[in-house]
Amino acid sequence: MGMNKKYWTGLEELNNTEGFQEAISTEFKRDQSVDQFLSDPKLKEANTGRRDFLKFMGFSVAAATLAACETPVVKSIPYVVKPEEITPGIANYYASTYYDGTDYGNILVKTREGRPIFIKGNKDYGMGQGVVNARINASILGLYDGARLRGPRKGGEDVTWETLDTEVSVALASANAIRIISNSIISPSTKRAVAEFSAKYAGKVKHVQYDAYSYNGLSSAHAAAFGKAVVPSYDFSKARVIVSVGADFLGTWLTPNMFQAAYADNRRPENGWMSKHYQMEAVYSLTGSNADVRLAIKPSQEGQAVAALYDALNGSASGIDGVDAAVFTKIAGELKANIGSSLVVAGSNDANVQMIVASINQMLGNYGKSIDISNPTNLFAGNDAEMASLMEEMNAGSVDAVIIYGANPSYSWHDAHKFNSGLLKVKTSISVNNYADETGTRCTYQAPDHHFLESWNDLSPVAGRTDLQQPAIIPMHNTRYAQESLLRWAGNPIAYYDYLRSTYNADYTAEVMNSDNSWHMAVHNGTFASGNIQMSTPAAPIVSTKEGAPSVEMAGNVSVDQAVAAATAALAASPAAVTSAMDVSSALTAVRSAKGGAWEIVLHQSVMLGVGNQANNPVLQETPDPMTKVTWDNYVGMSPSDMKELGLNTYIAQDDEASLVKVTANGKELILPAFPAPGQKKGTLSIALGYGRGAGNEAIGKSAYQVGEMGEHLMEGDNLVPIGKNAFTLASMSGSTALYAAFDVQLEDMKATYPVATTQMHHTVMGRESVVKETTISAFLAEKDVKKGEASWNKLPTLAVHEDINGDGAINAQDRTYVKEHDLWREFPVEGIGHRWGLTIDLSSCIGCGSCITACHTENNVPVVGKDEVRRHRDMHWLRIDRYFSSDFETLEETIENKNLGTISAYGDMEIPSETPKSVHMPMMCQHCNHAPCETVCPVAATTHSNEGLNNMAYNRCIGTRYCANNCPYKVRRFNWFNYVGNDKFSQFNPAQDDTLRMVLNPDVTVRSRGVMEKCSMCQQRIQAGKLDAKKAGTTVTDGMVITACAEACPTHAIVFGDLNDTTSKNAKRAVNNRSYHALEEIGIQPNVYYMTKVRNIENEA
Amino acid sequence: MKRLSERHITRLILTISLIFSFSLSSQADIHVGGDAVKGKQLFNANCASCHKITEEVLAAPGLKGIDQRWKGKDELLILWIQNPQGAAGKGDPYLKSLVEKYVPTFGWMANQAVNAEEINHILTYVKEGDGAPVPTEELNKCLTYEEMQATASKGEQNDGLIWIIIIGIILAIIGVSAANISRSLKNAVNEREGKDLEPETGYWDVAKAWMWKHKKFVALGGLFMFCYLFVLLYGSLMDIGVYEGYKPEQPIWFSHASHACKYEIDCQYCHSSAAVSKHAGIPSVNVCMNCHKGIKKGPVTGEKEIAKIYEAIGFDPQTGTYIADYEQKPIEWVKVHNLPDHVYFNHSQHVTVGGIDCKQCHGPVQTYSVGRQATVAEINAQEDVPGLIKLTKPTLTMGWCIECHNKAEVDLASSAYYEEMHDRYRASENGQRFLRSYLDENMKKNTSGGVVDSLKTILTVKQLGGWECGKCHY
Repeated sequence: MGMNKKYWTGLEELNNTEGFQEAISTEFKRDQSVDQFLSDPKLKEANTGRRDFLKFMGFSVAAATLAACETPVVKSIPYVVKPEEITPGIANYYASTYYDGTDYGNILVKTREGRPIFIKGNKDYGMGQGVVNARINASILGLYDGARLRGPRKGGEDVTWETLDTEVSVALASANAIRIISNSIISPSTKRAVAEFSAKYAGKVKHVQYDAYSYNGLSSAHAAAFGKAVVPSYDFSKARVIVSVGADFLGTWLTPNMFQAAYADNRRPENGWMSKHYQMEAVYSLTGSNADVRLAIKPSQEGQAVAALYDALNGSASGIDGVDAAVFTKIAGELKANIGSSLVVAGSNDANVQMIVASINQMLGNYGKSIDISNPTNLFAGNDAEMASLMEEMNAGSVDAVIIYGANPSYSWHDAHKFNSGLLKVKTSISVNNYADETGTRCTYQAPDHHFLESWNDLSPVAGRTDLQQPAIIPMHNTRYAQESLLRWAGNPIAYYDYLRSTYNADYTAEVMNSDNSWHMAVHNGTFASGNIQMSTPAAPIVSTKEGAPSVEMAGNVSVDQAVAAATAALAASPAAVTSAMDVSSALTAVRSAKGGAWEIVLHQSVMLGVGNQANNPVLQETPDPMTKVTWDNYVGMSPSDMKELGLNTYIAQDDEASLVKVTANGKELILPAFPAPGQKKGTLSIALGYGRGAGNEAIGKSAYQVGEMGEHLMEGDNLVPIGKNAFTLASMSGSTALYAAFDVQLEDMKATYPVATTQMHHTVMGRESVVKETTISAFLAEKDVKKGEASWNKLPTLAVHEDINGDGAINAQDRTYVKEHDLWREFPVEGIGHRWGLTIDLSSCIGCGSCITACHTENNVPVVGKDEVRRHRDMHWLRIDRYFSSDFETLEETIENKNLGTISAYGDMEIPSETPKSVHMPMMCQHCNHAPCETVCPVAATTHSNEGLNNMAYNRCIGTRYCANNCPYKVRRFNWFNYVGNDKFSQFNPAQDDTLRMVLNPDVTVRSRGVMEKCSMCQQRIQAGKLDAKKAGTTVTDGMVITACAEACPTHAIVFGDLNDTTSKNAKRAVNNRSYHALEEIGIQPNVYYMTKVRNIENEA
Repeated sequence: MKRLSERHITRLILTISLIFSFSLSSQADIHVGGDAVKGKQLFNANCASCHKITEEVLAAPGLKGIDQRWKGKDELLILWIQNPQGAAGKGDPYLKSLVEKYVPTFGWMANQAVNAEEINHILTYVKEGDGAPVPTEELNKCLTYEEMQATASKGEQNDGLIWIIIIGIILAIIGVSAANISRSLKNAVNEREGKDLEPETGYWDVAKAWMWKHKKFVALGGLFMFCYLFVLLYGSLMDIGVYEGYKPEQPIWFSHASHACKYEIDCQYCHSSAAVSKHAGIPSVNVCMNCHKGIKKGPVTGEKEIAKIYEAIGFDPQTGTYIADYEQKPIEWVKVHNLPDHVYFNHSQHVTVGGIDCKQCHGPVQTYSVGRQATVAEINAQEDVPGLIKLTKPTLTMGWCIECHNKAEVDLASSAYYEEMHDRYRASENGQRFLRSYLDENMKKNTSGGVVDSLKTILTVKQLGGWECGKCHY
């Protein structure tokens, strides 16, 4: 058995550096200095004598005493006319839809007294089981962002809408070429508005769509293969074998939130089978960390890998550099054994690569099953080539007017410089974006659109489905629908709501949404396709629909040539539907000729920031990257061994700063810190996109800029310093599509350092094992029905005892009994009595996406502390996801014996397995121990146990001794070092410090003050509310009536909340499952949080 | 009494005249001779929502002077009341003018199911008006708290402390002067006897000398003073954050006594969210308007205070209509019951689930003018609250809350929720042990009061977890 693994959270721990040792020896590594304690920079300047000080002290004590005696006058202002549906104190939920050009999700907006305060997935009617990602649930902050444009502007000066309309109309009337640049527009009514605008200026208007992160290669491959330039709909629920070449489909590829739930459903070992997931990639992505088999390849090899798979399927396996032919043969074998129920995806935006992938999928019979091109997604309709030719047009001076809608090419177009120079030659430029962003500030006019939470809209993400956006609040500022602006300039001053309703009148479209009844139902559900939560209906593959075409049903060994022949014949039978047949051979030739350099780079979307639409969202900035755990920065990810060779610093603890490197690609350079990323392919670099927003001092929000130690914005000359650097600049056009990689890159050590804030080794579990348990599917199935605690992969922890446990009179020192038998405390009376709230967390299902963290953040008013404080180990996350890397310990044990080294010093030898480590994501929050060590050490009984199994925290009782945090084995307690609500240091990013942003705070949860401990309360407010609902209705609390924010946000049901005493609940059943265990069970503190052993679909390799 | 007898005489005369008139002719005057008491009942039931017996226009013309306006047209008037649209067809010019004046604004009056006799009662009441005085005990019932205080404290003007201080100061002055005089006298004697004069010592030296002389007395007194001040200080420290009796000034002089006592409006008619939400809620102006669309004048403040409602919502009391496109101004009430931010309190838990009377926490609200925070003494003094739990700690302090949670009982059979909790107790060994100890405890507590039904499963809120920090602080 190779299950005895060593887990480590970071390279510091692996290498057991001096810094690490020091760090683990002290609980609060950085104590607060006196300077910080006083925290006000002005205080240091003040020249206060001792006598004055005493006088002030005396006065303030007296004043405080007096003030305390005075009754505060609090105003209480009721409505004049109360809206019928609002009851103060009771939340309302409205179904709506999120779409920002990249992310898409069906949401429910929680409002209190008319204020939207929380966004969650629409589980009943949403696509992809109503899953939303971290970006969508954190987007609530955007509504209250003070940097949003508050009204129309011309040249940076406020104007009235009348002035703007008059001037724009005059300008447009005289224009000969008008261009609309937008992200992918998926709203039927908006498309109608654009069409009406185009009709008004007939022959002069051209609408160019482009996506910040382009999938144009995918759509053009499908255009070439099937005559439809579409991005298909993928259905991961039908995929038993998944091969991904560089596609981070759980993190960033297309719409991951639509795939996550289905992916996880196929990987529950209780099913008796699991999907098999192969991942080939350079960067250790979120998806890669969940793969059963991960193969590190260079970005230039992506095409070759796809081609090798194609060959292997064709029976002539060949390897590529670093991956043997046998591997491809094996993968091909598994794919062939699962004809029609597999999925091969690639992340490359190279049409040739996608072409080969399409033909592989076609051959495997996946079209019409796991891939649907008859109901394709409407998202990502961008066309890079059109955009590139628009640049030429603009630079030639032949464009008279440009309208920017939703897009931000000055930031996200790889050749932004060219766009900017072209824009200067356009006479009239208008931006309808929310912000005066990079592009907006360069436009003459700004006609800001409403925020999506203030808007009506219809959105059609996939053919046959229409979702609705409904306002949850009336517009806060003097903004106007972009569609209304377009229509007004086209001479149609209609309200957009009316326009939207008219879209579904019989005279315009066949869709039946014209009756008030069906409209109200659609608004209530958030979607018109009520009840239909499938992404698409399965459709027959394009080839088999053609009459007389040879069957392409695949069975057994079938060569790719046969398949291609079948497909070609089918297409030939009906050439009208298809413009060209699959020309795979030229694609194969093209990808095989790709050459890599010494250094190659991958530009990937950041899991938290995506393409940077929400770069000013402090919650997203502070949520750590799932793999590197870096916050508030992007960086150059490198293989640790490469860094060692170059002499770059790989031990990035709080005192050690990261080495700065210069990356030069496509003639452009970026200077960024290098960060060690175990698992990254040697010889490759990676940089996340979405950072470096607002590099020209644009007003995109104060949280988008770097902040110094005292809370002041850092300045570079007159410019604010953005967070991270814009990596879009390193992208290029390859053929007709944008390429987010470069195969020949220069790297230079800048011999300088830069502080990076990472949480990766915070709150370590002190090397104790039994935190993470894992096994293989075969080992699991062998002992599938074994009682809990007896399976070889999940044994109960035992203690050696010196007593006669066999009853034979013999005392054997080897005898061991279950840890629970030995207890210092009396049994805590929650088992079987009343409620016993708890969580079960399935490590097999947890993909590490981080949605739970952002949901917890918003629900519980968790403060944002900023980069400097994160560097001091003072992040306030109530819930974190520990990412453990693992390597096989058995081989290491040998090493230890051979080298005759002590265990600790031998950790250094584990460097070698860290080239391709496996990883586990483990959400960690307060475990609500029934024998909580924190409770027994609190001198003031501020943390106590409830009769419902919760570890309560009474903030107003806490005096801040921090004993509890010292005693917590899970390191989940957080101390309020500062008054985050009032201290200047946090004024630029903590939501509670902004007058409007403060409105996002949950009124049912206390905003904590300085000097108190806080931690996960298991959403106590929701538990109390759920119980109250039951009591008011005179019913019992049924399973699912109460759910914590993290469990609600979890896309894969890895986190399940419920009453463990309700034996019928899903949670109680999971708790007694034989995979479930307590983290650190051997210390006998009996938590109410259960983890479930991770099962990997790999052979028993030991 | 004078008016009463007058009314009796009038009645007597009227009755006599009625008998005469009936015997003389069938053309009896419908405006007189009915039973005004019955008329008032009928009027309130059928007419009062639109008509007033004054000249004021509510949602229809005021009825004062109707006997003059309709003189001699009794039959038409009866028809007009019973079937207005039918009567309008008769072509009476006065009726026509009425229709033109009011129907466009208020619409047609509904047909009223009253017969001629009842109309006679009503019109008698309209003519005679609200002459009957309200019985005194009814008036007393709805005295406001201030009025009661004023009555109660008339005899006992007790400002003891001030008198003690004044007397103390006088005594001190006398003492000092006496010492001076005594010294002057002594000096005069000394001078005469040729002895040394006593030196001109300051008061402080004199006091010191005096204190030195009476060490024991001063030490005892000092100790007493110290203890007294200490207790005083302790008491005042304990009062920090205690706002019993807090009664801030409100933008509107609103009388709970008049609404809750005199008109017997249920608390939850205005504070409607108390049953469903954490907030009891202050009624929005549109709720006020449900009644005040008609009631435009208060008994104490007249039109002044009610006008503030109209100003907020934009209502014209003259025409009885809302002003179009009015910029409404919310009323900025001052919050009376302030809990710290770290306390979570939910009204619905107590009102709907616990079934607790509002007066248990808010005291005799029906005696308040503007809202005030009740004191524990007031709450305990209430006699009309069934099952009142008497508490000792000041209201709205944590001690007060948990004291009640210790005493308040929950019947586990009262709802499916508690029943299930009860079942869970019984199903587990641990639970049974707890249940038994709880029940024993409660029985012990209750046996002094007599026999306890041991089959009843009643636990206190505390035993159900009501004393745990996390139940109110999160």
